[in-house]
Amino acid sequence: MASTTERQLDKTTATDLYRRMQVIRQCEEQLAKSHQRGLIHGACHTYVGEEAIASAVCAHLNADDVVFSTHRGHGHALAKGMPPRELVAELYGRETGCSQGRGGSMHLFKPEIGMMGTSGIVAPCILQACGGGYSFKILKTDQVAVAFFGDGAVNNGAFHEGLNMASIWNLPVLLVCENNQFATEVPFAYSSGIPDVGRRAANYGIPGHELDGNNVLKIYEVAGQAIERARRGEGATLIECKTYRTRAHAEGMGDFSYRTRDDVAEWKTRCPIQRLRDHLLQEGIVGADDLDAIEAEVRETIAEAHRFGEESAYPSAESVTRHVYCEQPAPPRSPILNQNPLATATDAREISYVEAGHEALSEEMRRNPHIFVMGEGIGKRGGNFNTTMGLYDLYGPERLCDTPICERGFVGLGGGAAMTGSRPVIDFMFADFIMDAVGELVNQIAKIQYMSSGRIKMPILLRGCIGIGHSAATHHSGNYYPLYAHFPGFRVVVPSTPFDAKGLMKRALNCDDPVMFLEHRELLQVKGTVPDEEYEIEFGKAVIAREGTAVTVVALARMIHESLAVAESLAGEGISVEVIDPRTVSPLDTDTVLQSVHKTGRLLIVDETFGPYSLGAEVAARVADDAFDDLDAPIRRLNGAFTPTPYSPTLEQAVVPTREAIREAIQTLVAE
Amino acid sequence: MAIEIVVPRLGWSMEEGIFGEWLKQPGEEVVPGDMLFVLEGEKAAQEVESFDGGVLSIPAGAPQPGDTVQVGQLLGYLLAADETPPAELPARPAAAATAEPAVAGPAVRQLARELNVDLGQVCGTGGGGRVSAADVRLAAEENEPAAAALSRDKSRGKAISPRARRVARELEIDWTEIVGTGRTGRIRESDIRAAASQLSAPRGGQRGGGQRADHDRSNRISPLRKTIAQRMSAAAAETAAVTLHTEVDATNLVNLRGQFRAASDAQEGVPGYNDILVKLTALALGRHPDLQSQWREGALWVPGDVHIAIGIDTDQGLLAPVIRDVPARSLRQLAVETRRLAERARAGALTVDEMQGGTFTISNLGNYGVDAFTPIINLPQSAILGVGRIRQLPVVVGEQVLPRFVVSLSLTFDHRVHDGGPAARFLHTLREFIEQPGPWLID
Ligand SMILES: Cc1ncc(C[n+]2csc(CCOP(=O)(O)OP(=O)(O)O)c2C)c(N)n1
Ligand SMILES: [Mg+2]
Repeated sequence: MASTTERQLDKTTATDLYRRMQVIRQCEEQLAKSHQRGLIHGACHTYVGEEAIASAVCAHLNADDVVFSTHRGHGHALAKGMPPRELVAELYGRETGCSQGRGGSMHLFKPEIGMMGTSGIVAPCILQACGGGYSFKILKTDQVAVAFFGDGAVNNGAFHEGLNMASIWNLPVLLVCENNQFATEVPFAYSSGIPDVGRRAANYGIPGHELDGNNVLKIYEVAGQAIERARRGEGATLIECKTYRTRAHAEGMGDFSYRTRDDVAEWKTRCPIQRLRDHLLQEGIVGADDLDAIEAEVRETIAEAHRFGEESAYPSAESVTRHVYCEQPAPPRSPILNQNPLATATDAREISYVEAGHEALSEEMRRNPHIFVMGEGIGKRGGNFNTTMGLYDLYGPERLCDTPICERGFVGLGGGAAMTGSRPVIDFMFADFIMDAVGELVNQIAKIQYMSSGRIKMPILLRGCIGIGHSAATHHSGNYYPLYAHFPGFRVVVPSTPFDAKGLMKRALNCDDPVMFLEHRELLQVKGTVPDEEYEIEFGKAVIAREGTAVTVVALARMIHESLAVAESLAGEGISVEVIDPRTVSPLDTDTVLQSVHKTGRLLIVDETFGPYSLGAEVAARVADDAFDDLDAPIRRLNGAFTPTPYSPTLEQAVVPTREAIREAIQTLVAE
Repeated sequence: MAIEIVVPRLGWSMEEGIFGEWLKQPGEEVVPGDMLFVLEGEKAAQEVESFDGGVLSIPAGAPQPGDTVQVGQLLGYLLAADETPPAELPARPAAAATAEPAVAGPAVRQLARELNVDLGQVCGTGGGGRVSAADVRLAAEENEPAAAALSRDKSRGKAISPRARRVARELEIDWTEIVGTGRTGRIRESDIRAAASQLSAPRGGQRGGGQRADHDRSNRISPLRKTIAQRMSAAAAETAAVTLHTEVDATNLVNLRGQFRAASDAQEGVPGYNDILVKLTALALGRHPDLQSQWREGALWVPGDVHIAIGIDTDQGLLAPVIRDVPARSLRQLAVETRRLAERARAGALTVDEMQGGTFTISNLGNYGVDAFTPIINLPQSAILGVGRIRQLPVVVGEQVLPRFVVSLSLTFDHRVHDGGPAARFLHTLREFIEQPGPWLID
């Protein structure tokens, strides 16, 4: 196998590596200076001393190979080809910055050249790179995905879950650990039971290397081989590069409480740039004049980048909420049908809620080869709730991928996959199970579109069950939708009927925003009419499940069915109840609720989950704001008890709003 | 060019620190990478590196060890060989200007307008000094406790739903007279509608009049009316008002005005009686500045300038725009300004600024044939002059009875602030000016 040893190095490659390292070093020095002068508004972690790693790895990458990086990511962005001026402008907070001023030092995006983002959270980049690798399998290309991360990340679960997934699915990824021996001030020697990272790879069944991270040529050689391997479909490699950062953890931070001046001074003598220079001169590969010329040229580039940054405008405040959601949503692929035309039909086709979702998924999978499903037992087995029954036989193991029990891992992977061209469906069975993945959801999946100024999309559907019933007890009963609806970036869908489940699932599978699709387990077998023709239901359109005049009831999921039953019986007593189903919690259709309250003057929100900071709290606040003069009575809420869900049937019944409670609440409200 | 050495930010949110010491002496050569000075940030004292080279220059007045310094503050310079330091240490970066107008949301601004509260005078308790609705209400109560108490009283003990209140407004129903049927006796929409249908039930063939005779009218109370009501009752309740009446010989005034008129070809710009009176009053106030005292936060505040509010009758109600700096204006300028303000008042175009800041008020009802009246103080001012009609009366002058022009002046003052003596002395001065107006009007 051909390998690039120090001796065989050609001049072009040598000067390229030298230039990349010079760009990083000089740019970082400018940034450190700018930080001191107050031009940088937030944190600034420099890569000084570690330039060899990003330069050597990225020298092998094409523009469509992807890089996911960390808080110390300036070097990765520059080595991947980001023009220094875009990096500098970003740190100066300007609209010409690579993230248009939304990110700063720790959130650098340039998807156009495969720079898929640096992250302020340690370790998710490993999972996202696995997602990139998974996408390339689905898309059947020979692209590779690279994660750069520090020694701090390797004691995090994402490292373990990521390496394991990369291994079992043979993913085209390169995992590069920059072991600079400290995580902030904590020595690696303290936080790891063994002194090396590279050899951990063996435990996962992938090749691992432990390299001198200041030897650019050695890294160049090993990374080249690993990337070729990945392109050939032979799977992932872990490369540990032992190095040292010779500046403080972040600019402005003290440096000598945990290491000595001598240590730092000594490591400065091992400067990877000087080392390459000495080598090139010694071996006569490149002359001093050429290297000096590169340095001078880079100096001019960085000076220009600084000027550009300083002269660029700050972003306008009006743009602050742009890109939270996809700005140009894809047009629906099927006709929009927000109201069920068969609602009152008697001889129409009826299917169950779970069948409706299945129909939507299989129709869309047939149409779109980039959709794949991941989850536990969703392959041959067809899903714990039959959500994927029969699809494995049609689409095979790559598109119906059974996962290990690593919810954080496969949710994080899903995020990375959605960023790189495929459309993952994460089937997590119970919403309780992805609590391990909330960081991936909230910090990554919900924020990427915004942080990347809309240049990266996040077409991911995350589905699973919620809801209380049948003594499932507290780890299989959570509702959680208020949690997700709290965060900008998510679409949160909670259907209550087969018609809604199908239409909303189809919309979700054609939408570029991340969708939390939460299906109440007690409704899975509920039957309802569903049209034969394909259709989509828009997000943010409530449906009036029953019309009435005396009181408005807003409810969701199973509580819709309970409220409708109560409304029916109260009609006999002369109380006319209007029941509204928002269907999506985010976006929330308050207009329909306001119109209803304008008519009735009374509002009750019936919600199975906890009251504090909930759907009811939100609806009540909005109605109080916008329809104060329409209210003829205080707004009332009926919620599940504020307690974990108990097991015993007598206790379980006591935590969910019952029909009796709903009836009583409506009667009291009417008498207010 | 001299390179500035400034205080860097250490850590996430440092805004200021303590200057430790220089690690180089003035005049010493500094090379990039040298540690230059010690700065104490949020966590610990730290050596700060120099990214530039040059000769250290520390200007006079630069921070001393132990001084608190602001992030971005200039500490010194690095100079090229032979370069002279910049002349002086520029001022510290000023904190972002804080003397901004009060921050308040639209609803709060609206409320402030309705309650006639000057937002600039309200101390905001919200984040960033933001003025809340509660702050405005409090300020309104402080201004006019009686009025506020009054309006609270009316609805005390009565609960009404917002919807019912809205419907009552729409149907012009006085809900304070209605008994509610809701839980806890709350008045609900149905109660208002029931009351409305009772009122409009056919009675003697009439519709819509209810118990009212059909030529009676009920007008909505405009916000301006409400404001006037509040201010008037506050003044009535809060001040200890005393009114002094006097009759003044206005013959010379009438003559003078006749001369102005005769000398000018157009009506435009001819000073009226009111203009002359405003000017003379301002001059009299100049001699008796204490008459402008205002009761403010437990102290008497005496305005240094004379800004006179003039009462203007408009279709919407009484407005009192302010003519600023009256003593500094010529009579002709005064006339122009008065006319401008009156037009704007009648067009409903006065700005809040144009109605604020008066130090004394003149209310002239002469045009309406009124001889004398007791004006009500325009809070927070402490005195107001009422001017009646100028009329001809037989007056004993020496031994004879002569026809003379006479005007009556009514000075209402707040006895909490002034005693009768000073008020009377002011009135006396004003009388002298009016009786011999010429000399006082030459500039
Ligand atoms: C999940 C998470 N925990 C803690 C932090 C705070 N933090 C930022 S950088 C850092 C140290 C990371 O060390 P390492 O991964 O070795 O990278 P290095 O800074 O050494 O390049 C820590 C703890 C974070 N950003 N994310
Ligand atoms: Mg580290």
